[in-house]
Amino acid sequence: MTRDAHALPGVEPDAGKLGMWAFLASEVLFFGGLFVAYLYGRTHWPQGWSGASRHTDVVLGTVNTAVLLTSSALVALGAAAPARRLSARLLWSTAALGVLFLAIKGVEWHAEWRDGLVPGVDFALADTPGAEEFFALYFVMTGLHGVHMLLGIALLAVLATGARRDRPWAQARQVEVAALYWHFVDVVWIFLYPLLYLVSRHG
Amino acid sequence: MAEPTAFRREARAIVLAWVALIALMLASLGSATLRLGAFNMVAGLVIAGIKTAIVAWLFMRLRDEGRLLRLTAATGLAVWCVLVALSGVDYLTRASTTADVERPRALLPVSASAAQRGR
Repeated sequence: MTRDAHALPGVEPDAGKLGMWAFLASEVLFFGGLFVAYLYGRTHWPQGWSGASRHTDVVLGTVNTAVLLTSSALVALGAAAPARRLSARLLWSTAALGVLFLAIKGVEWHAEWRDGLVPGVDFALADTPGAEEFFALYFVMTGLHGVHMLLGIALLAVLATGARRDRPWAQARQVEVAALYWHFVDVVWIFLYPLLYLVSRHG
Repeated sequence: MAEPTAFRREARAIVLAWVALIALMLASLGSATLRLGAFNMVAGLVIAGIKTAIVAWLFMRLRDEGRLLRLTAATGLAVWCVLVALSGVDYLTRASTTADVERPRALLPVSASAAQRGR
């Protein structure tokens, strides 16, 4: 193979991007285990699972899905933007939507705590087998997703600050790698949304 | 660094993808109001799959990447499928007898239980 062949677009991937994709592949397995747990619960306690999932807040869940999809579009624009200042502004907007997502999630969690849907003492649906397992998984999945959101928000905030000052570590290349992570967290939610909020509304 | 016109083209694709994603989200929400039985789950997951494809292909730019990167991206999903099948060997063939679990109870406050012991 000649040097020119190596120079073809796409033949030699950017090391940062390749590393991020390898990390995301491992993240697929990290969340993948939880999705298998969901599948197990869903097939072993179909009644309890659908009964419990009707107690999640579908309005807030839908709003949050829209917030996250929009944030993904903004960070994609931020990664593509030729001007560093525009990129910085788009990254800040993305991070702000991330904070909004977590705030809405917090309202949801608070309401669930109030309604006794947190597994443990005085669990509200204790007489439905499987309901407690559903909510245990619900809190683990949304909680871990929330932790990923926190990291993403921090990452984007740092890059936004750097991009605004045109720092060498906050150029389009780095922003693109960070954006991959953000999109991945969005994709996890894309699957959580139907599984936790929608599929058993009628069951 | 992309040129302004290239950015404009890119931005249009991103906005169109965003419109499609929101439309699919509403379709997913709409499908949940129908009584489809097991197909509620199928509809939800198929729509989530289409949304993921849009995000991966356009937002994560797999469209523009070479084979090595696409293969790396697919690895996680492929290994996950293998692991799901292997897990099924256990979970799908085992009788699901759940063990009796003692439900957690509220304990008496420390002072009250100390008083009880004293009695």
